[in-house]
Amino acid sequence: MPKVTWILADGREISAQVAVGHNLMEAAVANNVPNVIGECGGCLSCATCHVYVEPDWAAKTGKPGEMENDMLEITTAERKESSRLSCQIVATEELDGIVLRVPQI
Amino acid sequence: MTSFKPVDDGHADLSSHDAFLSGAPHNTFARLRREDPMSWSEMQGGKGFWSITRHADIMDLNKNFELLSSARGIRMEDQTYEEYLARRTFQETDPPEHSRTRVLVAKAFSKPVVAQFDQQIRTICDSILDDVLARGSFDATKDIARQLPMRMLGQILGTPDEDLDWLVEKGDQLIANTDPEFTSLVLDKVDTDAYRLMPFRSPAGAELYEYAKKLMRDKQAKGDTTGVLHLILQPDAHGNVISETEFRNFFCLLVAAGNDTTRYSIAASLYALCQRPQLMEQLKAGDNNVWETSPDEFIRWASPTMHFRRTATRDFELHGKEVKAGDKVIMWFISANRDDEVFQNPFELDLLRTPNRHVAFGQGGPHVCLGMWLARLEVRILLQELVKRVKSIEQAGEHEFLRSNFIGGIKRLPVTIKAH
Ligand code: HEM
Ligand code: FES
Repeated sequence: MPKVTWILADGREISAQVAVGHNLMEAAVANNVPNVIGECGGCLSCATCHVYVEPDWAAKTGKPGEMENDMLEITTAERKESSRLSCQIVATEELDGIVLRVPQI
Repeated sequence: MTSFKPVDDGHADLSSHDAFLSGAPHNTFARLRREDPMSWSEMQGGKGFWSITRHADIMDLNKNFELLSSARGIRMEDQTYEEYLARRTFQETDPPEHSRTRVLVAKAFSKPVVAQFDQQIRTICDSILDDVLARGSFDATKDIARQLPMRMLGQILGTPDEDLDWLVEKGDQLIANTDPEFTSLVLDKVDTDAYRLMPFRSPAGAELYEYAKKLMRDKQAKGDTTGVLHLILQPDAHGNVISETEFRNFFCLLVAAGNDTTRYSIAASLYALCQRPQLMEQLKAGDNNVWETSPDEFIRWASPTMHFRRTATRDFELHGKEVKAGDKVIMWFISANRDDEVFQNPFELDLLRTPNRHVAFGQGGPHVCLGMWLARLEVRILLQELVKRVKSIEQAGEHEFLRSNFIGGIKRLPVTIKAH
């Protein structure tokens, strides 16, 4: 199971093993990562699962899709180059070790 | 909706509006969650429906729009295809069609954009409080809870202030179409066939249609492109433009969805403050970031939108029950919000509850409330301004509930307040 680490705005870190196939919003909610809320259940309606992907991992997570790109316009925290909606990132073995930063909202 | 101690016998008929006259039948929901989490109800004069009552099931199924579709009606009542087409809004569509419209309007309702209303909301609250403090005793639903969402709606839609009372009255007729106090055409009591193509099967829908059309014409003539209504008229990413019918339905949706829900959340909050004075003290102290967490807790507890419906697109089984394609499935958000598997002491308010995974906004699915940030902000600011100026609030008479199994609310709440 790939390991995922969330770094919170205050520097605190939360890590968890995430089953392949689960999306990283679900994983964050399951592990009580604050400020990843995921109010639409991963349906691209809310943007409350916003995270910044650490630069080293950007190539592996890829770019946001078209609808995700539109929804990134309504995030609460500033949108950056590294912004993703974490419900659209699915855990794979390739992402083992991935680091996500959670914005302050 | 709101009560600290439900009074039903645990076997309420969920299809009956009368079963909600003393507040939501929470003993029934508790029994169903425990014993029969996918339960069947017959419905007079129509097809019966399934009830989903557990939080975990709603979280599982609300996102599964391929199985449980919104595109065949979202109210408990049956709808023919013709009625559906005439009355539908983007709320009655599924992704990806739904997402294309949602994206167009999402920005206008996003948290940062809505936050810009902060000062405006405070000003409105101040004038509401001036009025009620001068009187001391009044109906908190009518004179506080109804006022704020109504006046905010005017700001969002860009409608003239003098039209607001009329708009809200019409909105009430749409939503509270099962309470004789709000409409002479009570949905389950008189023949509403002549209005079946109107929003919410109500002549008020027709009047709102006409109003929306005229408003748009006036705005276009003046070249006025401000506000939410303009956004919805923009072509989506595929160049599709919404039809006139869809536009008018969206207008009705905003008038209806944005109003009574927030009103009854505020009314429930004020009722809770009357019943639990320590909550008032906690808000006044303002410690532990209580203003961050309390709006959601008040709204969880209020759960004014008690359910929405979906329709099964194919046969499936849940908790040993065989659901058939075409069956109506009701998601009881209000029941999930009292599920003690998720919420400790669910009938009480814990203003610091964290995390608070309530589903009052239809969380866990693509239709999660578009106006949730606005609603939270309105509830928060109203209460902030209230506790600044009001020392105590007490109930001054019996409260009364709306006659509806859809919208839960205290429609009358006599109170007395004292200034600091
Ligand atoms: C506390 C207040 C409110 C509550 C409890 C509430 C509740 C809900 C719920 C449960 C849904 C989900 C519908 C479904 O699953 O089919 C919803 C959707 C919606 N709400 Fe709210 N609402 C509130 C305030 C507002 C406000 C202030 C507005 C607008 C000004 C609004 C506009 C909408 C719209 C347009 C939808 C449809 C979204 C879609 O289908 O994508 N609501 N609301
Ligand atoms: S959970 Fe709503 S967009 Fe990701």
